[in-house]
Amino acid sequence: MSQLIRAHRCRGAALVAVLAMLARVDFAAAQQVSGNRAGLVTVIAQTDSGGLFDRINEALKPVDGIFGKVNDYVESVVFFPIPMGSGQSVPAGVLWLVAAAVFLTFRMGFINLRGFAHAVRVTAGRYDVASAAGEVTHFQALTAALSATVGLGNIAGVAVAVGIGGPGATFWMIVAGFLGMSSKFTECTLGQMYRKVRPDGRIMGGAMYYLTDGLRDIGLGPLGRVLGILFAVLCVGGSFAGGNAFQVNQSMEAVGQTLGFVREYPWIYGLAMSVLTGIVIIGGIRRIASTAERIVPLMCGIYVLACFVILLKNWARIPDAASAILDGAFSFEAGWGAFLGVLVQGFKRAAFSNEAGVGSAAIAHSAARTSYPVREGFVSLLEPFVDTVVVCTMTALVIVITGAWDYRNPEMSAELKAAYTLKPDGSAASVQGAILTSVAMDQQVPYFRYVLAIATALFAYSTMISWSYYGERCWAFLFGDRHSMSYKVIFLAFTFLGSVISAPQVMNFGDLMIFGMAIPNVLGLFLLSGKVRLALTDYLSRLHSGELDREVAQQGP
Amino acid sequence: MAFTDVTVVVPIDFSSESDFAIRSGLSIAGDPRRMHLVHVLVPLDTISPGVLFGEVTNQTRTDAVKKNMAELTRKHGASEAVEVVLFGDPGMEIADYARNIKADLIVIPSHGYHGLKRFVLGSVAERVIRHAECSVLVLRRKDAE
Repeated sequence: MSQLIRAHRCRGAALVAVLAMLARVDFAAAQQVSGNRAGLVTVIAQTDSGGLFDRINEALKPVDGIFGKVNDYVESVVFFPIPMGSGQSVPAGVLWLVAAAVFLTFRMGFINLRGFAHAVRVTAGRYDVASAAGEVTHFQALTAALSATVGLGNIAGVAVAVGIGGPGATFWMIVAGFLGMSSKFTECTLGQMYRKVRPDGRIMGGAMYYLTDGLRDIGLGPLGRVLGILFAVLCVGGSFAGGNAFQVNQSMEAVGQTLGFVREYPWIYGLAMSVLTGIVIIGGIRRIASTAERIVPLMCGIYVLACFVILLKNWARIPDAASAILDGAFSFEAGWGAFLGVLVQGFKRAAFSNEAGVGSAAIAHSAARTSYPVREGFVSLLEPFVDTVVVCTMTALVIVITGAWDYRNPEMSAELKAAYTLKPDGSAASVQGAILTSVAMDQQVPYFRYVLAIATALFAYSTMISWSYYGERCWAFLFGDRHSMSYKVIFLAFTFLGSVISAPQVMNFGDLMIFGMAIPNVLGLFLLSGKVRLALTDYLSRLHSGELDREVAQQGP
Repeated sequence: MAFTDVTVVVPIDFSSESDFAIRSGLSIAGDPRRMHLVHVLVPLDTISPGVLFGEVTNQTRTDAVKKNMAELTRKHGASEAVEVVLFGDPGMEIADYARNIKADLIVIPSHGYHGLKRFVLGSVAERVIRHAECSVLVLRRKDAE
């Protein structure tokens, strides 16, 4: 015990030292320019040119290049181009997820549509049984999973999809959201089926468990072991990438729209985020994380409301936008390649945001208190709905209606244009998604960029906390329960790296890990879909006979 | 020393080896009241949904473990054994506990890992041996890896 206390003290001291160091720098800078009424941050920028802060900027430059090399290597596997005729191709990872979502939608008999009403009733607590094994209620499990999925993918990722793919990407994103509900249902049901209850009542579950134990059940033990480990390794990677570095990087862009010093010295933002996350995951200050978890739904509401206001303000343009979305989605004029491009953008960003088929959310949903695995599967299908069909669609509609996607339009404001990097042929090479959304919304609702800066920082923060939990569970699966400290340290290093590496690299890295996770997970979903189907049929027959309602009435909440 | 009328600490992790350890501990202690079953839990995390929503606390975890321990001791006819739940590093906690209650012996099962797994996971038994002030009996698993 004493050792533990010592260890905690050491960590606390290190944290204080870092803070003190920062404070000293600020203080010294402020002293040098006494009388300057500009913010402290401007003070640092003014006094530090050629100084320590710029030297740190310089020293961190090569990191981006190293990252790019690693990305290229992984990309050749995960996004291996699958030929689709006429010399066109689709990245393997995307095709794999789409195939799974379509297959599972049919296999589960369109559970995404017919299961919706029951999902809402379960989430509302009608079937909560306090005595069932598990840690949280259905509603809490959904909230936890949503805090990992609703993040910068919904704000920045969507803007990238529409910016590069055009309005048509919106349509495919919504389709991907609906289909993804079936994948999510399947994986979260499996998460519950193969979860483990520890002696202290804690739950361990997720794709790594159903791959290992589920495939052993159907006589594929060795394959299950390999897939389980592969998933856990990639999930750890995903927690460093999409769930962490990407969140920091993109929220930094939105925050940078309001705070100049964040644009100049991005690593300060990275350091601040590392410290704030470290306080929770290493320092053990639970209150910050639970406060953030509580504010996020509110922020999400404000965001959707603001989008709604923008749509109302521009109601006259809605018919045009709708036809632009449909025309763009089914446009073969620019050729098969262009059509595939739009489709891939839509599906890719939707999958990145809602993580359906990726396997991550099964970790959170496996903690729900229930004796019927399928019941939590129902709850989980609301996740892609809220995340993609509602929140992502709102962002996309705003980008379409405000014309922020139309970078070829000569009348577009310079501020919006600055978010695009164009190829020599005039097409978009990359888009700074968070900036695009921030500027587009700010032009409609004055000062909204400030609200968005706070909202994105909070979204990023809660997503990072949730993903650190996913990653830590996978780390524990690989190395045992008692070695999470090493994981947490690496996690924080990536939080910092997210501020240093360029946006396209971070996004690429995030995509590769997230779609990488889908490779073992989807294979497992294909192979185990029969088990889920059986459980679903059984559950539905009990539900329709009224047995489940009688059971709840007897057991009480 | 003769193993009679001794106080025995038996760390358990609810694996199949724990049964063997309890049987051994019981036969040495003679009286279940002199057998202390100890389970060490990892400290509570700060980020899992159960903890964030306040549904999982060290109290709920302790209650769950005690319930499982009671079942285990009943199975072995040793319901009067002392049941203890501790938090922290298992090796250190077990050794400290044995010292505090002035135990004569610790009976601990070993998973018997070798190679990489041993390097990564370490061995609770090893740490207990290193830190304990009393005698330690390590029960070797027959099918040790």
